[in-house]
Amino acid sequence: MDPDTAIGGPHAHFPSTQLSLLEATAAGLSSEALDRVIALYWKPVYHFIRLKFRTNNEDAKDLTQGFFAAALQRDFFARFDPAKASFRTYLRMAVERFAANEHAAAKRQKRGGDVEFEPVGEQVAATESPEQAFEREWQRQLFSLALNDLRAHCDRLGKQLQFSVFQAYDLADGERPSYAELATRHGVSEASVTNYLAWARRLLLGFVTERLRSTTSGPQELHREMRRVWR
Amino acid sequence: MEISDSVLDHLRHVAALPDLTGTRYELETEIGRGGMGVVYSARDRQLDRRVALKVLDFALAGEAQLIARLEHPAIVPIHETGTLPDGRAFYTMKLVAGARLDHYVAGSPSLAERLRVIRRVGEALAYAHTRGAIHRDLKPQNVMVGQFGEVYVMDWGVDAVAGTPEFRAPDARLDQRSDVFALGALLQSVLPESVPPALRAIAIKAMSSDRAARYPDASALLADIDRFEQGLAVEAWSEPLWHRLRRFGSRNAVMLWLLAAYAAVRLLLFFLRTF
Repeated sequence: MDPDTAIGGPHAHFPSTQLSLLEATAAGLSSEALDRVIALYWKPVYHFIRLKFRTNNEDAKDLTQGFFAAALQRDFFARFDPAKASFRTYLRMAVERFAANEHAAAKRQKRGGDVEFEPVGEQVAATESPEQAFEREWQRQLFSLALNDLRAHCDRLGKQLQFSVFQAYDLADGERPSYAELATRHGVSEASVTNYLAWARRLLLGFVTERLRSTTSGPQELHREMRRVWR
Repeated sequence: MEISDSVLDHLRHVAALPDLTGTRYELETEIGRGGMGVVYSARDRQLDRRVALKVLDFALAGEAQLIARLEHPAIVPIHETGTLPDGRAFYTMKLVAGARLDHYVAGSPSLAERLRVIRRVGEALAYAHTRGAIHRDLKPQNVMVGQFGEVYVMDWGVDAVAGTPEFRAPDARLDQRSDVFALGALLQSVLPESVPPALRAIAIKAMSSDRAARYPDASALLADIDRFEQGLAVEAWSEPLWHRLRRFGSRNAVMLWLLAAYAAVRLLLFFLRTF
């Protein structure tokens, strides 16, 4: 049997080293825990602000930066109550309030709202609401980060071949190559292609789960968020 | 790493595939998707047979074990329940070859055949209710008609299910009478456009928003369908006099014809004797 097939499920590889957000907050919220939140949410927040308030690129960046800076100063994380909403929803609503206030203040300062606008069509298709864009970017960022984790993990283990097969198939934009083509291209058997893909996917799911674990309040919210990713 | 929308969708799809490592099952293809989760066909390596494997979006509640113990010819037998490494629950069951009820009805079966299917569903509900289990999400998509005409009620509800709006009773808490509502909605959904008013009334009574006005249980609804099929008055409809006479006529056609023949003969004899 190919050793890769005996790896087991995500549990076998992910002994849940990540604390949940509540545990991390109770422990004083380390910079690493904070970095994981910001890494996951910076882009979704930026896209949400751009669409919701129709700001230009630089203003959206400033507002995003300002939001995270303010969140650190105003015990934003300590006030999160998982009984009321998911952390994702809590954060989005906080962003909305923060950006609305800042936006209004900027308008007042410029006496009559001389704020720069950018056509919405230039940013994202008009069919997507700011809330949908936020969710979509959250999913995209979640997988992007998990893919980075997977690649780093493969590099550490010397499994570049497995990652290459996975990249050629699961990350292909457009038509995917057949397993036979992949096998020929990488000089391995078709069975190995199947095993490499299964192995990489299991790991990817594990990394997605770990990324979610560190940005949710606990197992219940984690499972709810995973369902949102799957559906 | 930047990823496009199409790659993101693909990754979400493959990430959702159940990890069956350590189980006796091998995933084949997705065969259905509903509010509760996703159903796949899978191969049971140990018994070398194909099964249906349902992955739920949540952990199994105690009721699932209760449902697993239901043994009825119209209830799909559950082989095994388990939990995936990611925390999702799954169970395997008989893979039924056949058509969903809505697809089956699209083939224009006779009214008697449609009522036969409803009767089988009602019997399964009545049995489950006596065991303390309720379905909670009865709808055409959850009823299968097999290739030999066998009927299976699937997707017995667990705690997290809220039902499908069209078939869901407007009850604060779902119980047996909510299933009676859904059975009435199911009956209505299989009836052809032109249908006797008594039969339509049975469905309407079962779907009453007032719980007390519904049939008390599935058996009572089935009994009314039986009465309809036997040409008797149904509980759900107070029929007009002309309709009652017509029903009497059609139920006793032979006797009425004999009486008419007898009267005609007597009349003929009377005329022969008189003239």
